[in-house]
Amino acid sequence: MAKRVLIADDSEFMRNLLREILEGEFEIVGEAENGVEAVNMYDEHGPDLVMMDIVMPIRDGIEATTEIKGDDPEATVIMCTSVGQEEKMKAAIKAGAEGYITKPFQKPNVLDAIGSAV
Amino acid sequence: MRVDVRALGACNRLAERGAERAANALGELTGSDLAVEVTGASVATGEDLAEAFSGRESIGVRVGLDGGLEGQAVLAFDAEQIDGLLSVLPGGASMGRSAVTEVGNIALGGFLDGWANYLGRAIDMTPPRYFEADGAAVLPDGALAGDGVFLFESRLDATGTDLDFSIYMLPDSGPFRDLVVGKTATAATVGAEGAGGSAGGANATAVPYESLSTFASLAKRGSANAADNIGMMTGLETTVDVSRLRFVPLADVPSEVGTEPHAGTVFELQGKPSGYLAILFSEESAAAIAEAMLPMEPDQPLGDMAENALCELGNVMTSGFIDGWANVLGTSISHSPPEFVHDIGSATVSPLVASLSRRQDYGFVIDAAIRTEGIQARCDVYALPDERELAAALERLSET
Repeated sequence: MAKRVLIADDSEFMRNLLREILEGEFEIVGEAENGVEAVNMYDEHGPDLVMMDIVMPIRDGIEATTEIKGDDPEATVIMCTSVGQEEKMKAAIKAGAEGYITKPFQKPNVLDAIGSAV
Repeated sequence: MRVDVRALGACNRLAERGAERAANALGELTGSDLAVEVTGASVATGEDLAEAFSGRESIGVRVGLDGGLEGQAVLAFDAEQIDGLLSVLPGGASMGRSAVTEVGNIALGGFLDGWANYLGRAIDMTPPRYFEADGAAVLPDGALAGDGVFLFESRLDATGTDLDFSIYMLPDSGPFRDLVVGKTATAATVGAEGAGGSAGGANATAVPYESLSTFASLAKRGSANAADNIGMMTGLETTVDVSRLRFVPLADVPSEVGTEPHAGTVFELQGKPSGYLAILFSEESAAAIAEAMLPMEPDQPLGDMAENALCELGNVMTSGFIDGWANVLGTSISHSPPEFVHDIGSATVSPLVASLSRRQDYGFVIDAAIRTEGIQARCDVYALPDERELAAALERLSET
């Protein structure tokens, strides 16, 4: 059975790109445009994996991850962001993310990161 | 407050590395090879910025910066190139605005990575805001206000497709001033040693911040004088399009001038500061200007008669530049007789850079684009003063 994935990114373009990469091997259960939606959709769908952008409006990906992991310590979150800064990545790991990928990414990078995290 | 001009050079290097990262990120996303064409750090007034952006139409994104660096950053594509950009993005054609926003976000993230890692602090970016803007409206709010801002510009060039863009980063002047007199000064020294240790102590190149704005104004006034002199000699209405003081690695100057054929004049400056001044026209512009100056059509477009005319023009333009500096700086500056140059652009300035490089790694470059109405002619003026002598003169300026 295909793993169920929630995509959280404020960019429609990136959500589409990730969907194209993941469809076929994973089931996309939803697409969130900000951190608040990501938390709500996680509660609603209980996905196996969240692909979480860091820089998002309303609530950023790190705060959303902290909340998701606080409610469900077993949640698996991969940060995918254009911000490849070491300090940001440390903050993401501290928030509980299992891994991260830096935009722009190719399909193999995404699948490798998921393979390592799940 | 004192700013080390070599530290500004080091900031320029960081910006250049950032631009390379941005180019790599964009290249991966679009499948295009992108090269960093130009990166420059400059002190610009609001008036300079308004002039520089006049007539441009841009599409891009803005982000706010917080944390390690405060301020705003803008990535702008030439509006005419957006269709080309979208055509090379996966699914881009149907997602115009969203695609542009994300591309800008990714490229700006790449650009800021190097700064954040150097500072050892994360730089928080706000979510990107898409814009379509005419002229200086491309710049962040507040950029046109105040006496002077630090501006970093990068231009990337794509091979194979028409795809280039500019990144403008306006770090809030206060915190950024602290940066350039603090940790970055050390980086500048390290950079100089790495390049052969030709630079001396940092104190020798530290100048009061306020004097940089004054010198930027001087550069602008010099450009206006030079333009007036062209007008007087040719009878053509002449205006200064852009005049800006930048801090760049000297080694980058030849590539900035480019490989297109140029003709013009080169002068050695003697006094305080010493250095070089190059007045370069594209071949076509040089021929057009020379023809306008001569009473009869020259036998050859850039033959002896044209050479003499351009040398004389160079003489009066150079005087227009350096007389103003000497007056304000309270020094005496003279210049050598004009040396006519006619070669590919980089070859015209390489000897000047090689000479200055024995003493310094970074230079102030004064770009002045002078445009004449009626005929298609344009010239660029590169002033390369000795940095220590210029710093000393600026120091004296601040004391008077």
